[in-house]
Amino acid sequence: MGLQMLINAILLGGLYALMGIGFSLQWGISGIINLSYGAMVILGSYISLEFFNLFHIDPFISMIMSGAILFVIGAAIYRTLLQPLIKGGIVFTLILTFALRLVIENIILKVWSADYRTIRVTYAGSNFQFGDAYVPLIKFLAFIVAGILIYLTYLFMMKTKTGKGIQAVALDKEGAQAVGIDVEKMYLINFALGTALAGLTGSLWASIYSFSPHLLGPIVGKVFIIAILGGLGNIWGAAAGGLLLGIAETAGVVFLGSEWQDAIGMVIMVSVLLWRPYGLMGKKFFG
Amino acid sequence: MGENNIILKIETLSKHFGALKAVDEVSFEVKRGEIVGLIGPNGAGKTTLTNLATGAFPKTAGKVIFKDLDISNLKPYQIARHGLTRTFQVVKPLIGMTVEENVLVGSLYGRDKRNTDMKNASKRAREIIKLVGLESKKDSSVSDITLPDLKKMEFARVLAMEPEVLFLDEVMAGLNPTEVEEASTLVRKVRQEKGLTIVYIEHIMRAVMGISDRIVVLHHGRKIVEGTPQKVVNDSAVIEAYLGKRYAKEVNNEG
Amino acid sequence: MFKNKQVSIFLIIVGIIIFIFLPRFLSGYWVRVITTIFMYAVISQGMNLMSGYMGYLPFGNAMFFGVGAYITAIGMGKGLSFLAVLPLAALTAILFSILLGLPVLRLRGHYFAIATIGMSGAILSVVQNATEITGGAMGTTLPIIDKSPEVTYNYFYLAMLALMVITSLTVYLLIKSKLGFGIRSIKANEEAANSMGINTTYHKVIAWATSALFTSIAGALYAYWMSFIGPDEVFDIMIAVNTIVIMLIGGAGSVLGPIIGAFVVSLLSEVVWSAFLEYHLAALGITIIIIVFFVPKGITGTIADFIKKRELRLRKKVSV
Repeated sequence: MGLQMLINAILLGGLYALMGIGFSLQWGISGIINLSYGAMVILGSYISLEFFNLFHIDPFISMIMSGAILFVIGAAIYRTLLQPLIKGGIVFTLILTFALRLVIENIILKVWSADYRTIRVTYAGSNFQFGDAYVPLIKFLAFIVAGILIYLTYLFMMKTKTGKGIQAVALDKEGAQAVGIDVEKMYLINFALGTALAGLTGSLWASIYSFSPHLLGPIVGKVFIIAILGGLGNIWGAAAGGLLLGIAETAGVVFLGSEWQDAIGMVIMVSVLLWRPYGLMGKKFFG
Repeated sequence: MGENNIILKIETLSKHFGALKAVDEVSFEVKRGEIVGLIGPNGAGKTTLTNLATGAFPKTAGKVIFKDLDISNLKPYQIARHGLTRTFQVVKPLIGMTVEENVLVGSLYGRDKRNTDMKNASKRAREIIKLVGLESKKDSSVSDITLPDLKKMEFARVLAMEPEVLFLDEVMAGLNPTEVEEASTLVRKVRQEKGLTIVYIEHIMRAVMGISDRIVVLHHGRKIVEGTPQKVVNDSAVIEAYLGKRYAKEVNNEG
Repeated sequence: MFKNKQVSIFLIIVGIIIFIFLPRFLSGYWVRVITTIFMYAVISQGMNLMSGYMGYLPFGNAMFFGVGAYITAIGMGKGLSFLAVLPLAALTAILFSILLGLPVLRLRGHYFAIATIGMSGAILSVVQNATEITGGAMGTTLPIIDKSPEVTYNYFYLAMLALMVITSLTVYLLIKSKLGFGIRSIKANEEAANSMGINTTYHKVIAWATSALFTSIAGALYAYWMSFIGPDEVFDIMIAVNTIVIMLIGGAGSVLGPIIGAFVVSLLSEVVWSAFLEYHLAALGITIIIIVFFVPKGITGTIADFIKKRELRLRKKVSV
């Protein structure tokens, strides 16, 4: 029983990790608490749903489209709506992303209704054995893909010119400006990357679990916790935070019952905020 | 209060940021009513020292004794209430308020045991505004006034707190020569009228020389020289710090 | 707001008198709507004190509303009268704000807002799960008032009106006082405030306790009014969102702002709901976006700006 639970927890945690990184990057670097993040995740799910229903394309492939579409959406939203408001402070950006959530939520409700959906792929039921436990194939594949994506994000940040530019801006905005980095462009790309990661997570999620607009709020609740646990803007921190949350939730459901699921997360988050506002990793640094 | 009327004592004060020793075992005393110039090249540790003395940073080692009281572990607001205050190198106006309101806040809070009710505080604030010459701008929002006026405002604000010791942190930064002259005259006038003790921080030698009774020189976080302006200006260590080893050698060779 | 203080006071008294007699001319539906407006004005005053004046946004402030509601429900369930439970509810909320505030108020901006959401969520979970005491997720009932509906509506209308007036007056006096300057300095420049001798922690706690006090009384009245409350309802995050929108529309940093904002938002909602039933979420969202971009200072802020600009223009003409 222990091994099965641990495997479930880790597989879930992997998805949470990918999901949390996008939000953490947006908050930590672009300085935006994106309350519409949940909407972006499930948009990714719905995009894959449509590609599957219309063209029979497997979500592991259509996720590329999800990521691309959400990247563009994120860029557009940041440039037109968020960038002008940042100097107004947290009240404005917070309420604006909430307004965005409402708009996206309404669109989703109209197009797809509030019903729970899922993508039924042919290999949905397959699993293999690991010791005493059964590992569902899709979850395993999704975990691997999530891991690869996280690593690719890390490489992007560390090795590419743009990624290093984003890091520079995160560490010292004035310094970056002084050496000629286009600060606003870095914030923009970073934000769009965050929404892309949200969309990618949504696609991976779609064939494993069911999704509906009901998830909008809870997702944001979860990514808050992950971002704070890992330290804002910290990729590996968020990854660790995601895994931790996956474990905490799975264990919590088993030992305490599902009603306490949300409370656990909340208590953890507030405790971390009070004890180590920079996250469990310590400082706000990269990688 | 205390021997020789010493109002402030900095005792082997240190601040390390990891391996960087921003302030390294600095000690000096300030007598009541003095103007002590605190100089040194950029990065010498002057502002850090000020932050330590006023409680803005926690210290790594050492003590700060004010009026015979060890204030080393007090919070900034407590230290201000005891009568030790500072201005900021980069002015920190209370944004969204007018000049008068800014000075009023200083008057309402600041040192304990004065009349800090609204009526008396307002009166005091208006007097100080007149003293520094900001009366015509008193209803302007701080976002609408020039830098010299902002500095005057911050000066007025800190005066309204009725401090006993005031750290003036590079007040001259960003002012043109005329404005520097005006500011120096104002500081002298205020010191005389209010009997303040001032620690005057600058990295421009000229501004400090004419006004200080004594000078303390910092370099790389350490105190390298202390004495009258005459003594300090001729000291080779000081010349070396500001102008480099070669120039100091030249000066010494010329005798 | 007007130059002549006496004119302002006169207008306010006239306004209050009008409100007192208004229910005679309105249907029960509108009396309830306006009662809710008064209630939101109170909650928004609390938020505005924290956010508009002090610069700390307690996104989860509705937790005090919920606490007020539930203490009232539990207390009256045990046989206490409303007037006996009310101080208990308020005191509990104040205690929470102090205990939770001391650690949390030292967090800067974003973190503080999020921490309050976390706390609100945690309290919600506790209430949902402590079924024996609180009735759990299904909610709990309160004693029904043994009078006709009309009398009941009017009673709560007047109670909420009184609460709104008292809250607004308190915030107004507080802001003008020495304490108010300390609070405003925190928003203006917290570091400078500390260096000037302001005990910022003390001021933050007082501000939050005041905000908790009035918000919890609003919750208590609400519970008694509704006779039935559920955890999702009184800890709803939409309460916070609504109050933020009210602050935005009304204009932060002004005592009239929350009141005007509450009226405008409520009327807007009525219009939007009936016109855009299926799209009301999107309509609300788009409305918020428009307001944030075109009227960021809200109604009172924009009017204040307009008055200032007109004064400057007049002054220029005179000095020439």
